[in-house]
Amino acid sequence: METSRPVVVKRMPERLNLRTARQFEREVQPFLASDRPQVVFDLSQVRHLDAAGVDMLLRCLQQAMKRDGDLKLAAPSDHALTILELTRTDRLFEMYETSTDAVRSFTYFLPNAMRPFPIVPQPAGSASGNALQPRAA
Amino acid sequence: MDVSAILLVGVAQNDSAASGAAGETVLGVPIATLDVLGRPLVHRVAQHLLASGVSRVAIIANSDASIPAGMRQGLPSEAQLIVADAEHVWREGERIFEELSDSGAELVIVWRLGAYAEIDVETLLQAHLDQGARTTEVCDANGQSLELFVVCGSRRNDAAYLFRHQLLGTRMPGCDYKFYGCCNRLRTAADLRELTIDGLMLRNLLRPVGHEIRPGVWVGQGVRIQKGARLVAPCYVGSYSCIRPAAVITRGSTIEHHSEVDCGTVVEGANVLPFSYLGAGLDVCQAVVGYNKIAPLRRPVEVEITDPKLISMASQHAPVRAASTVGALFSFLPLQLIRGLLSKTQPEQPTDLQTALKESSAALREPAAHPIASQDSAKFPNNMIVARRYGNE
Repeated sequence: METSRPVVVKRMPERLNLRTARQFEREVQPFLASDRPQVVFDLSQVRHLDAAGVDMLLRCLQQAMKRDGDLKLAAPSDHALTILELTRTDRLFEMYETSTDAVRSFTYFLPNAMRPFPIVPQPAGSASGNALQPRAA
Repeated sequence: MDVSAILLVGVAQNDSAASGAAGETVLGVPIATLDVLGRPLVHRVAQHLLASGVSRVAIIANSDASIPAGMRQGLPSEAQLIVADAEHVWREGERIFEELSDSGAELVIVWRLGAYAEIDVETLLQAHLDQGARTTEVCDANGQSLELFVVCGSRRNDAAYLFRHQLLGTRMPGCDYKFYGCCNRLRTAADLRELTIDGLMLRNLLRPVGHEIRPGVWVGQGVRIQKGARLVAPCYVGSYSCIRPAAVITRGSTIEHHSEVDCGTVVEGANVLPFSYLGAGLDVCQAVVGYNKIAPLRRPVEVEITDPKLISMASQHAPVRAASTVGALFSFLPLQLIRGLLSKTQPEQPTDLQTALKESSAALREPAAHPIASQDSAKFPNNMIVARRYGNE
Protein backbone atom coordinates (compact mmCIF):
# COMPACT_ATOMS: atom_id res chain seq x y z
CA MET A 1 0.00 0.00 0.00
CA GLU A 2 1.34 3.43 -0.95
CA THR A 3 1.85 5.81 1.93
CA SER A 4 2.50 9.44 1.08
CA ARG A 5 5.67 9.05 -0.89
CA PRO A 6 6.43 12.36 -2.55
CA VAL A 7 6.98 12.74 -6.26
CA VAL A 8 9.79 15.19 -6.68
CA VAL A 9 9.89 17.30 -9.82
CA LYS A 10 13.18 19.00 -10.57
CA ARG A 11 13.63 21.46 -13.35
CA MET A 12 16.86 20.92 -15.21
CA PRO A 13 19.15 23.84 -16.02
CA GLU A 14 19.22 25.44 -19.45
CA ARG A 15 22.77 24.35 -20.15
CA LEU A 16 23.67 20.85 -19.07
CA ASN A 17 27.39 20.34 -19.51
CA LEU A 18 29.93 18.56 -17.33
CA ARG A 19 30.00 21.24 -14.61
CA THR A 20 26.27 21.86 -14.33
CA ALA A 21 25.52 18.15 -14.64
CA ARG A 22 27.72 17.42 -11.60
CA GLN A 23 26.13 20.28 -9.71
CA PHE A 24 22.66 19.09 -10.58
CA GLU A 25 23.47 15.50 -9.68
CA ARG A 26 24.67 16.59 -6.24
CA GLU A 27 21.39 18.41 -5.73
CA VAL A 28 19.22 15.44 -6.64
CA GLN A 29 21.28 12.92 -4.70
CA PRO A 30 19.11 13.15 -1.55
CA PHE A 31 15.97 12.44 -3.53
CA LEU A 32 17.51 9.53 -5.38
CA ALA A 33 18.99 8.11 -2.20
CA SER A 34 15.64 7.95 -0.43
CA ASP A 35 13.57 4.79 -0.29
CA ARG A 36 11.80 4.01 -3.60
CA PRO A 37 12.38 7.46 -5.06
CA GLN A 38 9.86 8.91 -7.48
CA VAL A 39 11.53 11.66 -9.41
CA VAL A 40 10.55 13.68 -12.46
CA PHE A 41 13.03 15.81 -14.36
CA ASP A 42 11.51 18.72 -16.24
CA LEU A 43 13.53 19.29 -19.41
CA SER A 44 11.47 22.13 -20.82
CA GLN A 45 14.23 24.69 -20.36
CA VAL A 46 17.12 22.59 -21.58
CA ARG A 47 18.77 24.25 -24.55
CA HIS A 48 22.19 22.62 -24.46
CA LEU A 49 22.66 19.00 -23.53
CA ASP A 50 25.88 17.15 -24.07
CA ALA A 51 27.24 13.67 -23.40
CA ALA A 52 27.98 14.52 -19.76
CA GLY A 53 24.34 15.52 -19.27
CA VAL A 54 23.09 12.28 -20.81
CA ASP A 55 25.54 10.35 -18.66
CA MET A 56 24.21 12.09 -15.56
CA LEU A 57 20.62 11.24 -16.52
CA LEU A 58 21.55 7.58 -16.91
CA ARG A 59 23.32 7.54 -13.53
CA CYS A 60 20.26 9.07 -11.88
CA LEU A 61 17.99 6.50 -13.53
CA GLN A 62 20.29 3.72 -12.41
CA GLN A 63 20.26 4.96 -8.82
CA ALA A 64 16.50 5.37 -8.78
CA MET A 65 15.89 1.90 -10.17
CA LYS A 66 18.41 0.38 -7.80
CA ARG A 67 16.18 1.56 -4.96
CA ASP A 68 13.02 0.28 -6.66
CA GLY A 69 12.01 3.77 -7.69
CA ASP A 70 11.72 5.46 -11.05
CA LEU A 71 12.92 8.54 -12.85
CA LYS A 72 10.71 10.04 -15.55
CA LEU A 73 11.27 12.90 -17.92
CA ALA A 74 8.77 15.63 -18.65
CA ALA A 75 8.32 18.28 -21.32
CA PRO A 76 11.58 17.67 -23.14
CA SER A 77 12.57 20.55 -25.39
CA ASP A 78 13.31 19.88 -29.04
CA HIS A 79 17.02 20.12 -28.35
CA ALA A 80 16.90 17.70 -25.44
CA LEU A 81 14.71 15.26 -27.33
CA THR A 82 17.02 15.33 -30.35
CA ILE A 83 20.06 14.58 -28.19
CA LEU A 84 18.24 11.84 -26.31
CA GLU A 85 17.22 10.23 -29.59
CA LEU A 86 20.72 10.63 -30.98
CA THR A 87 22.25 8.89 -28.00
CA ARG A 88 19.53 6.20 -27.93
CA THR A 89 18.61 7.07 -24.37
CA ASP A 90 15.05 8.18 -25.18
CA ARG A 91 13.92 4.58 -25.09
CA LEU A 92 15.18 4.09 -21.53
CA PHE A 93 13.04 6.80 -19.97
CA GLU A 94 9.35 7.29 -19.69
CA MET A 95 8.63 10.70 -21.17
CA TYR A 96 5.57 12.87 -20.80
CA GLU A 97 4.42 16.09 -22.34
CA THR A 98 4.00 17.89 -19.03
CA SER A 99 5.29 17.55 -15.51
CA THR A 100 1.74 17.06 -14.29
CA ASP A 101 1.30 14.05 -16.56
CA ALA A 102 4.60 12.63 -15.37
CA VAL A 103 3.60 13.05 -11.73
CA ARG A 104 0.19 11.51 -12.34
CA SER A 105 1.80 8.56 -14.08
CA PHE A 106 3.18 7.41 -10.74
CA THR A 107 -0.38 7.01 -9.50
CA TYR A 108 -2.35 6.13 -12.61
CA PHE A 109 -1.76 4.04 -15.65
CA LEU A 110 -1.45 6.36 -18.64
CA PRO A 111 -1.81 4.15 -21.70
CA ASN A 112 -0.63 6.71 -24.24
CA ALA A 113 2.20 8.12 -22.25
CA MET A 114 4.82 5.53 -23.04
CA ARG A 115 5.68 5.45 -26.71
CA PRO A 116 5.71 6.94 -29.26
CA PHE A 117 6.49 10.48 -28.22
CA PRO A 118 4.83 12.97 -28.60
CA ILE A 119 1.70 11.66 -27.04
CA VAL A 120 -1.32 11.31 -29.28
CA PRO A 121 -3.90 13.89 -28.16
CA GLN A 122 -6.99 12.45 -26.57
CA PRO A 123 -10.53 13.56 -27.42
CA ALA A 124 -11.80 16.67 -25.70
CA GLY A 125 -13.12 16.14 -22.23
CA SER A 126 -10.07 14.81 -20.47
CA ALA A 127 -8.34 17.20 -18.10
CA SER A 128 -4.88 16.78 -19.57
CA GLY A 129 -3.55 15.29 -22.77
CA ASN A 130 -4.04 11.79 -21.41
CA ALA A 131 -7.10 9.97 -20.29
CA LEU A 132 -6.59 9.33 -16.61
CA GLN A 133 -8.12 6.14 -15.33
CA PRO A 134 -7.60 5.11 -11.72
CA ARG A 135 -5.88 1.81 -11.37
CA ALA A 136 -8.21 -0.92 -10.24
CA ALA A 137 -7.82 -1.76 -6.60
CA MET B 1 23.15 28.37 -81.74
CA ASP B 2 25.10 29.90 -78.85
CA VAL B 3 23.32 29.26 -75.57
CA SER B 4 24.61 30.39 -72.18
CA ALA B 5 23.23 30.01 -68.67
CA ILE B 6 23.19 31.99 -65.45
CA LEU B 7 22.60 30.06 -62.24
CA LEU B 8 21.75 31.98 -59.06
CA VAL B 9 22.61 30.16 -55.84
CA GLY B 10 21.75 31.12 -52.28
CA VAL B 11 19.85 34.15 -53.55
CA ALA B 12 16.64 34.94 -51.73
CA GLN B 13 13.75 36.90 -53.13
CA ASN B 14 12.12 39.74 -51.20
CA ASP B 15 8.74 38.03 -51.01
CA SER B 16 10.09 34.52 -50.83
CA ALA B 17 7.70 33.73 -48.01
CA ALA B 18 4.76 34.65 -50.20
CA SER B 19 5.99 32.59 -53.12
CA GLY B 20 6.62 29.60 -50.87
CA ALA B 21 10.35 29.71 -51.45
CA ALA B 22 11.13 30.50 -47.82
CA GLY B 23 13.75 28.22 -46.37
CA GLU B 24 15.71 26.49 -49.11
CA THR B 25 18.46 26.06 -46.56
CA VAL B 26 19.47 23.17 -44.36
CA LEU B 27 21.76 23.71 -41.37
CA GLY B 28 22.16 27.31 -42.54
CA VAL B 29 23.51 26.36 -45.97
CA PRO B 30 21.60 26.70 -49.26
CA ILE B 31 20.48 23.23 -50.31
CA ALA B 32 21.64 23.72 -53.89
CA THR B 33 25.23 24.07 -52.68
CA LEU B 34 25.20 20.89 -50.58
CA ASP B 35 26.76 17.66 -51.70
CA VAL B 36 24.32 15.05 -52.94
CA LEU B 37 25.81 11.62 -53.61
CA GLY B 38 29.34 12.93 -53.84
CA ARG B 39 28.95 16.20 -55.68
CA PRO B 40 27.36 19.61 -55.02
CA LEU B 41 23.97 19.91 -56.64
CA VAL B 42 24.86 23.13 -58.41
CA HIS B 43 27.84 21.41 -60.04
CA ARG B 44 25.54 18.67 -61.26
CA VAL B 45 23.11 21.19 -62.74
CA ALA B 46 25.97 23.06 -64.45
CA GLN B 47 27.33 19.77 -65.80
CA HIS B 48 23.88 18.79 -67.09
CA LEU B 49 23.50 22.13 -68.88
CA LEU B 50 26.95 21.88 -70.45
CA ALA B 51 26.25 18.33 -71.57
CA SER B 52 23.01 19.53 -73.15
CA GLY B 53 24.80 21.98 -75.42
CA VAL B 54 25.06 25.12 -73.30
CA SER B 55 28.42 26.73 -74.06
CA ARG B 56 29.03 28.72 -70.85
CA VAL B 57 27.57 28.67 -67.36
CA ALA B 58 27.95 31.55 -64.90
CA ILE B 59 27.14 30.67 -61.29
CA ILE B 60 26.35 33.70 -59.14
CA ALA B 61 26.50 32.92 -55.43
CA ASN B 62 25.41 35.11 -52.58
CA SER B 63 28.39 35.78 -50.33
CA ASP B 64 26.09 36.38 -47.34
CA ALA B 65 24.76 32.84 -47.57
CA SER B 66 27.06 30.18 -46.13
CA ILE B 67 28.54 28.70 -49.27
CA PRO B 68 30.56 25.55 -48.55
CA ALA B 69 34.20 25.63 -49.62
CA GLY B 70 33.66 22.44 -51.62
CA MET B 71 31.39 24.31 -54.01
CA ARG B 72 34.28 26.49 -55.19
CA GLN B 73 36.36 23.47 -56.21
CA GLY B 74 35.77 20.97 -58.96
CA LEU B 75 33.70 23.21 -61.21
CA PRO B 76 33.64 22.29 -64.92
CA SER B 77 36.09 24.36 -66.96
CA GLU B 78 33.28 26.09 -68.90
CA ALA B 79 31.61 27.18 -65.66
CA GLN B 80 32.52 30.34 -63.80
CA LEU B 81 31.74 31.17 -60.17
CA ILE B 82 30.98 34.78 -59.24
CA VAL B 83 30.42 35.74 -55.64
CA ALA B 84 28.45 38.88 -54.86
CA ASP B 85 26.88 40.27 -51.72
CA ALA B 86 23.13 40.12 -51.20
CA GLU B 87 22.52 43.73 -52.22
CA HIS B 88 24.30 43.48 -55.53
CA VAL B 89 23.58 39.91 -56.55
CA TRP B 90 20.66 40.77 -58.85
CA ARG B 91 22.63 43.67 -60.38
CA GLU B 92 25.48 41.24 -60.94
CA GLY B 93 23.09 38.93 -62.77
CA GLU B 94 22.10 41.77 -65.05
CA ARG B 95 25.74 42.58 -65.74
CA ILE B 96 26.62 38.97 -66.52
CA PHE B 97 23.65 38.77 -68.89
CA GLU B 98 24.99 41.80 -70.79
CA GLU B 99 28.46 40.24 -70.92
CA LEU B 100 27.09 36.98 -72.31
CA SER B 101 24.98 38.88 -74.81
CA ASP B 102 28.00 40.90 -75.93
CA SER B 103 30.01 37.74 -76.41
CA GLY B 104 27.42 36.37 -78.81
CA ALA B 105 24.93 34.37 -76.74
CA GLU B 106 21.67 34.11 -78.66
CA LEU B 107 19.72 32.54 -75.82
CA VAL B 108 20.39 32.76 -72.10
CA ILE B 109 18.93 30.42 -69.51
CA VAL B 110 18.39 32.16 -66.17
CA TRP B 111 17.77 29.80 -63.28
CA ARG B 112 17.52 30.45 -59.57
CA LEU B 113 18.34 27.26 -57.59
CA GLY B 114 15.84 26.89 -55.96
CA ALA B 115 14.14 23.92 -57.27
CA TYR B 116 15.94 21.04 -58.91
CA ALA B 117 14.47 19.95 -62.23
CA GLU B 118 15.82 17.62 -64.86
CA ILE B 119 15.01 19.82 -67.81
CA ASP B 120 15.49 18.58 -71.34
CA VAL B 121 17.28 21.70 -72.54
CA GLU B 122 16.91 20.92 -76.22
CA THR B 123 13.13 20.56 -75.97
CA LEU B 124 12.87 23.73 -73.88
CA LEU B 125 14.88 25.80 -76.34
CA GLN B 126 12.91 24.41 -79.28
CA ALA B 127 9.64 25.33 -77.52
CA HIS B 128 10.97 28.84 -76.89
CA LEU B 129 11.95 29.28 -80.53
CA ASP B 130 8.65 27.84 -81.81
CA GLN B 131 6.63 30.25 -79.73
CA GLY B 132 8.75 33.18 -80.83
CA ALA B 133 8.54 34.76 -77.40
CA ARG B 134 11.06 37.10 -75.78
CA THR B 135 11.02 35.13 -72.55
CA THR B 136 9.76 31.68 -71.69
CA GLU B 137 9.04 30.74 -68.11
CA VAL B 138 9.22 27.10 -67.02
CA CYS B 139 6.46 25.92 -64.71
CA ASP B 140 5.87 22.58 -63.06
CA ALA B 141 2.83 20.38 -63.62
CA ASN B 142 0.84 22.43 -61.09
CA GLY B 143 1.61 25.67 -62.88
CA GLN B 144 4.06 26.91 -60.22
CA SER B 145 7.12 28.69 -61.53
CA LEU B 146 10.44 26.89 -61.28
CA GLU B 147 12.19 30.27 -61.53
CA LEU B 148 13.78 29.11 -64.74
CA PHE B 149 13.58 31.40 -67.77
CA VAL B 150 14.84 31.38 -71.31
CA VAL B 151 15.57 34.91 -72.52
CA CYS B 152 16.64 35.98 -75.99
CA GLY B 153 20.18 37.38 -75.84
CA SER B 154 19.18 40.53 -77.69
CA ARG B 155 16.35 41.38 -75.25
CA ARG B 156 18.42 43.22 -72.66
CA ASN B 157 15.51 45.28 -71.37
CA ASP B 158 13.48 42.14 -70.71
CA ALA B 159 16.44 40.61 -68.93
CA ALA B 160 16.99 43.76 -66.88
CA TYR B 161 13.32 43.80 -65.87
CA LEU B 162 13.54 40.14 -64.92
CA PHE B 163 16.58 40.63 -62.67
CA ARG B 164 15.30 43.87 -61.14
CA HIS B 165 12.08 42.09 -60.19
CA GLN B 166 14.03 39.13 -58.83
CA LEU B 167 12.58 36.69 -61.38
CA LEU B 168 9.07 37.32 -60.08
CA GLY B 169 7.70 38.86 -63.25
CA THR B 170 8.45 39.46 -66.92
CA ARG B 171 8.31 42.77 -68.79
CA MET B 172 6.03 41.49 -71.53
CA PRO B 173 3.60 38.60 -71.20
CA GLY B 174 5.72 35.62 -72.15
CA CYS B 175 5.01 31.98 -72.74
CA ASP B 176 4.89 29.24 -70.20
CA TYR B 177 6.60 25.94 -70.71
CA LYS B 178 5.08 23.19 -68.64
CA PHE B 179 7.56 20.70 -67.33
CA TYR B 180 6.26 17.28 -66.35
CA GLY B 181 9.55 15.56 -65.55
CA CYS B 182 11.48 14.95 -62.35
CA CYS B 183 11.30 18.01 -60.12
CA ASN B 184 12.08 18.69 -56.46
CA ARG B 185 11.43 22.05 -54.80
CA LEU B 186 14.30 21.62 -52.31
CA ARG B 187 12.75 23.78 -49.61
CA THR B 188 13.40 21.62 -46.57
CA ALA B 189 15.67 18.89 -45.29
CA ALA B 190 12.94 16.37 -46.17
CA ASP B 191 13.16 17.47 -49.82
CA LEU B 192 16.91 16.93 -49.74
CA ARG B 193 16.38 13.43 -48.37
CA GLU B 194 13.80 12.70 -51.04
CA LEU B 195 16.19 13.81 -53.77
CA THR B 196 18.93 11.63 -52.31
CA ILE B 197 16.67 8.58 -52.14
CA ASP B 198 15.55 9.17 -55.72
CA GLY B 199 19.21 9.25 -56.76
CA LEU B 200 20.04 6.04 -54.94
CA MET B 201 16.98 4.31 -56.35
CA LEU B 202 17.95 5.52 -59.85
CA ARG B 203 14.70 7.45 -60.20
CA ASN B 204 16.50 10.61 -61.36
CA LEU B 205 19.69 11.48 -63.18
CA LEU B 206 21.81 11.97 -60.04
CA ARG B 207 24.29 9.14 -59.97
CA PRO B 208 26.55 8.49 -56.99
CA VAL B 209 30.18 9.47 -57.53
CA GLY B 210 32.04 6.21 -57.06
CA HIS B 211 31.54 2.60 -57.92
CA GLU B 212 28.94 0.05 -56.94
CA ILE B 213 30.57 -2.62 -54.78
CA ARG B 214 27.30 -4.51 -54.24
CA PRO B 215 23.84 -3.93 -55.70
CA GLY B 216 22.72 -0.59 -54.26
CA VAL B 217 25.89 0.02 -52.25
CA TRP B 218 28.07 2.78 -53.68
CA VAL B 219 31.45 3.84 -52.37
CA GLY B 220 33.84 6.55 -53.48
CA GLN B 221 37.58 6.57 -53.79
CA GLY B 222 39.77 5.76 -50.78
CA VAL B 223 36.93 4.72 -48.48
CA ARG B 224 37.89 2.79 -45.33
CA ILE B 225 35.23 0.33 -44.22
CA GLN B 226 36.59 -1.40 -41.17
CA LYS B 227 35.87 -4.95 -40.11
CA GLY B 228 32.42 -5.43 -38.65
CA ALA B 229 30.90 -2.35 -40.27
CA ARG B 230 27.74 -3.01 -42.26
CA LEU B 231 26.52 -1.23 -45.36
CA VAL B 232 22.94 -2.12 -46.19
CA ALA B 233 21.64 -1.17 -49.65
CA PRO B 234 20.76 1.40 -50.74
CA CYS B 235 23.49 3.59 -49.34
CA TYR B 236 26.45 5.69 -50.40
CA VAL B 237 29.80 6.34 -48.75
CA GLY B 238 31.76 9.24 -50.22
CA SER B 239 35.47 9.36 -50.96
CA TYR B 240 38.02 9.19 -48.12
CA SER B 241 35.34 8.49 -45.54
CA CYS B 242 35.84 6.06 -42.70
CA ILE B 243 33.28 3.66 -41.31
CA ARG B 244 34.48 2.22 -38.00
CA PRO B 245 33.70 -1.28 -36.66
CA ALA B 246 30.08 -2.18 -35.83
CA ALA B 247 28.72 0.94 -37.52
CA VAL B 248 25.65 0.43 -39.70
CA ILE B 249 24.75 2.53 -42.72
CA THR B 250 21.28 1.72 -43.97
CA ARG B 251 17.98 2.85 -45.49
CA GLY B 252 19.20 5.21 -48.14
CA SER B 253 21.81 6.93 -46.00
CA THR B 254 24.63 8.88 -47.56
CA ILE B 255 27.97 9.60 -45.94
CA GLU B 256 29.61 12.37 -47.94
CA HIS B 257 33.35 12.66 -48.50
CA HIS B 258 35.91 12.93 -45.67
CA SER B 259 33.35 11.96 -43.04
CA GLU B 260 33.81 9.52 -40.22
CA VAL B 261 31.27 7.28 -38.54
CA ASP B 262 32.59 5.98 -35.25
CA CYS B 263 32.11 2.54 -33.70
CA GLY B 264 28.60 1.24 -33.22
CA THR B 265 26.80 4.22 -34.68
CA VAL B 266 23.70 3.52 -36.73
CA VAL B 267 22.98 5.87 -39.62
CA GLU B 268 19.48 5.23 -40.87
CA GLY B 269 17.81 7.32 -43.54
CA ALA B 270 20.18 10.22 -42.98
CA ASN B 271 22.43 12.52 -44.98
CA VAL B 272 25.83 13.10 -43.41
CA LEU B 273 27.45 16.15 -44.98
CA PRO B 274 31.16 16.35 -45.88
CA PHE B 275 33.87 16.52 -43.17
CA SER B 276 31.44 15.41 -40.46
CA TYR B 277 32.36 13.23 -37.52
CA LEU B 278 29.69 11.12 -35.83
CA GLY B 279 30.67 9.89 -32.40
CA ALA B 280 30.49 6.32 -31.14
CA GLY B 281 27.23 4.59 -30.32
CA LEU B 282 24.88 7.16 -31.78
CA ASP B 283 21.58 6.62 -33.54
CA VAL B 284 21.30 9.06 -36.42
CA CYS B 285 17.87 8.41 -37.81
CA GLN B 286 15.94 10.44 -40.41
CA ALA B 287 18.10 13.52 -40.22
CA VAL B 288 20.59 15.71 -42.04
CA VAL B 289 23.85 16.07 -40.12
CA GLY B 290 26.78 18.39 -40.67
CA TYR B 291 28.46 21.65 -39.71
CA ASN B 292 28.10 20.71 -36.00
CA LYS B 293 24.35 20.63 -36.38
CA ILE B 294 21.60 18.11 -36.82
CA ALA B 295 18.27 18.67 -38.54
CA PRO B 296 15.84 15.88 -37.67
CA LEU B 297 13.14 15.42 -40.27
CA ARG B 298 10.50 14.67 -37.65
CA ARG B 299 10.72 18.10 -36.07
CA PRO B 300 11.16 21.51 -37.71
CA VAL B 301 14.27 22.36 -35.73
CA GLU B 302 17.99 22.51 -36.30
CA VAL B 303 19.97 21.66 -33.21
CA GLU B 304 23.51 22.86 -32.74
CA ILE B 305 25.70 20.31 -30.98
CA THR B 306 28.70 21.66 -29.15
CA ASP B 307 29.93 18.38 -27.74
CA PRO B 308 32.62 17.01 -30.06
CA LYS B 309 32.04 13.52 -28.66
CA LEU B 310 28.67 13.48 -30.39
CA ILE B 311 29.02 15.39 -33.63
CA SER B 312 31.88 17.53 -34.86
CA MET B 313 33.58 18.77 -38.00
CA ALA B 314 36.95 17.69 -39.30
CA SER B 315 39.24 20.26 -40.82
CA GLN B 316 38.98 20.75 -44.56
CA HIS B 317 42.78 20.83 -44.81
CA ALA B 318 44.48 17.45 -45.05
CA PRO B 319 47.65 18.37 -43.05
CA VAL B 320 45.52 19.67 -40.17
CA ARG B 321 43.48 16.45 -40.17
CA ALA B 322 46.63 14.35 -40.16
CA ALA B 323 48.16 16.40 -37.34
CA SER B 324 45.04 16.12 -35.21
CA THR B 325 44.93 12.34 -35.72
CA VAL B 326 48.57 11.98 -34.67
CA GLY B 327 48.00 14.29 -31.70
CA ALA B 328 44.99 12.26 -30.57
CA LEU B 329 47.01 9.05 -30.88
CA PHE B 330 49.90 10.26 -28.72
CA SER B 331 47.76 12.08 -26.16
CA PHE B 332 45.38 9.17 -25.52
CA LEU B 333 47.45 7.31 -22.92
CA PRO B 334 48.64 10.37 -20.93
CA LEU B 335 45.07 11.72 -20.82
CA GLN B 336 43.76 8.42 -19.49
CA LEU B 337 46.43 8.41 -16.78
CA ILE B 338 45.62 11.98 -15.75
CA ARG B 339 41.91 11.24 -15.64
CA GLY B 340 42.52 8.16 -13.54
CA LEU B 341 44.67 10.08 -11.07
CA LEU B 342 42.45 13.12 -10.73
CA SER B 343 38.96 11.63 -10.87
CA LYS B 344 37.00 11.22 -7.66
CA THR B 345 36.64 7.63 -6.58
CA GLN B 346 34.30 8.18 -3.64
CA PRO B 347 30.91 9.70 -4.40
CA GLU B 348 29.88 12.57 -2.18
CA GLN B 349 27.62 11.67 0.68
CA PRO B 350 24.07 12.84 0.10
CA THR B 351 22.68 15.43 2.44
CA ASP B 352 19.50 14.94 4.42
CA LEU B 353 16.26 14.82 2.37
CA GLN B 354 14.58 17.62 4.30
CA THR B 355 17.68 19.81 3.99
CA ALA B 356 17.85 19.09 0.28
CA LEU B 357 14.23 20.09 -0.17
CA LYS B 358 14.90 23.46 1.40
CA GLU B 359 18.07 24.18 -0.53
CA SER B 360 17.89 26.37 -3.59
CA SER B 361 19.32 25.04 -6.82
CA ALA B 362 22.77 26.22 -7.76
CA ALA B 363 22.61 24.50 -11.14
CA LEU B 364 19.48 26.39 -12.08
CA ARG B 365 21.07 29.70 -11.01
CA GLU B 366 17.71 31.39 -10.87
CA PRO B 367 14.56 30.18 -9.16
CA ALA B 368 11.79 28.66 -11.22
CA ALA B 369 9.14 31.17 -12.16
CA HIS B 370 6.19 28.91 -11.54
CA PRO B 371 3.68 30.41 -9.12
CA ILE B 372 2.94 28.38 -6.05
CA ALA B 373 -0.69 27.48 -6.31
CA SER B 374 -1.62 25.63 -3.17
CA GLN B 375 -0.84 26.39 0.41
CA ASP B 376 0.73 23.02 0.94
CA SER B 377 3.35 23.61 -1.71
CA ALA B 378 4.48 26.84 -0.08
CA LYS B 379 6.79 24.88 2.17
CA PHE B 380 8.78 23.67 -0.79
CA PRO B 381 11.49 25.89 -2.22
CA ASN B 382 10.89 27.66 -5.47
CA ASN B 383 13.07 25.35 -7.53
CA MET B 384 10.44 22.66 -7.05
CA ILE B 385 7.79 22.87 -9.70
CA VAL B 386 5.37 20.25 -8.44
CA ALA B 387 5.46 18.13 -5.33
CA ARG B 388 2.44 15.95 -4.97
CA ARG B 389 1.58 13.62 -2.18
CA TYR B 390 -0.78 10.76 -2.63
CA GLY B 391 -1.81 7.55 -1.02
CA ASN B 392 -4.05 7.86 1.98
CA GLU B 393 -4.71 11.54 1.36
